[in-house]
Amino acid sequence: MEQPRSDEDQQLVARTQNGEAAAFDQLVVKYTPRLYGLVYNMTSNHEDTNDLLQDVFSKAYKSIGGFRGKSSFYTWIHSIAVNMTLNFLKKRGRRFHLSLDDMDASVQNDKEFLELTATSSPVREADLSELQRRLNEAMLKLSDEHRAVVTMFHIQGMPHAEISKILRVSEGTVRSRLFYANRQLQNYLEEFRKNPVS
Amino acid sequence: MNQFSEDEIGKLLRLKKFEQPPPGYFENFLHEFHRRQRDELLREPLWRICLQRAQDFMFRLNVRTLASYPVAVTAVLICAAVISLKVYQAPETEKVATANRAPVIATTTIPDSNWSLSNPTATRDFGPTLVRTVKDSSHTHRATTTRYVLDSTPVSYEPALRF
Repeated sequence: MEQPRSDEDQQLVARTQNGEAAAFDQLVVKYTPRLYGLVYNMTSNHEDTNDLLQDVFSKAYKSIGGFRGKSSFYTWIHSIAVNMTLNFLKKRGRRFHLSLDDMDASVQNDKEFLELTATSSPVREADLSELQRRLNEAMLKLSDEHRAVVTMFHIQGMPHAEISKILRVSEGTVRSRLFYANRQLQNYLEEFRKNPVS
Repeated sequence: MNQFSEDEIGKLLRLKKFEQPPPGYFENFLHEFHRRQRDELLREPLWRICLQRAQDFMFRLNVRTLASYPVAVTAVLICAAVISLKVYQAPETEKVATANRAPVIATTTIPDSNWSLSNPTATRDFGPTLVRTVKDSSHTHRATTTRYVLDSTPVSYEPALRF
C-alpha cells in the first residue's frame, strides 16, 4: 500500500495545531479507510472497529498538540491505532463474536484472486464466503501481536521497516514474528486444502 | 505433502482487503466523529476542559524550549533571592539599633570627680549619640554574649578615670 505524501500531512498537522479543526477533518477522511482495514483485520468485528477508530481519531486530535514530527504522521497515527487495538483485544479476551464485512464483488476481477482460483484447487472449489470464513478463522488463531504483523505486512502491504517503527520493535523481531505466523497459517489452512468445502 | 506456500498465503490474505464496510460508511464516518466529539465535550466536567485548554496553551507556547535554559533561570532566581535577602536585612538592623536606643530610661550624668571603681555601672555623658542606659552597661559587663558594641571598647573596659 502506498504511503501518503508526508509534506501534505505535515501542513495539515501544522494547521490543526494552529487551531484549524477543518485540517484535522482532512486527515480523518484521508486515513479512515487505511486504518479501518488495519483495525478490522485485527478485531474481525465491524462494530468494534468502528468504535475503536472513533477513539483513535479522538485521541489523535487531543494529542496532536504534542506531535513534534519526529516520525511521520502516518507512522504516528498507525502507532496509536495498533496500540489501542492491542489493548482492546487484551481486555476483550476470547469473549467476542465475528462480525465480518461482506467481500466486495470486485474481488472476482482481482488478478491475484484469478491466479489463485486457476492454480489452487481449494480456492477454486470454495465459494467466496467460505474462503473468507476460513481465512478469518486462521487469522484469529494467531496471537494478537502476530496478527498485527500479518495484517500490516500481507494485507496492508507495509514494509518491515515501517512495521518496526509502528510497533517499536526491531526489524528482526518483525521478521521472526512474520515467519512464525506464516508457519501457523500454513498449518491452519492445510485443513482447507484437505477438505475445501466442509 | 504440498502445503500452501508463503506466497500463496500472502495472496490469500491480500484478498481480505476486499472485505469492505457497508456502502456510505466512510462518508458518514466524519459526521459521526463530530457528533461523538460534541457529546464528549458535553459530558466532560468544566475543570477538565479548563485543564485541557491550559495544556494546549502551554504546548503552543513551547515551554520545553523555554525550560532549556535551566542554568540561566537558576542563576536569575539565586540573584533575586540574594538581593531580596540583602534588601530585607539591611533596614532591620537599623531598626534594632534605634529600637534599643529609644527606651532610654535615664542618663545619670556624674561629675568627673565622682568617677571611681566603686561605681562600675555609672556612665559618662558623651553627648546625645553615645547615650547608654545603666542597665545596658551592666549587661556588657556580665552578659556572656555581647549584643553589639557602640564604642570601639566597651565602657566597662575603660580605665577608671581619676583626676
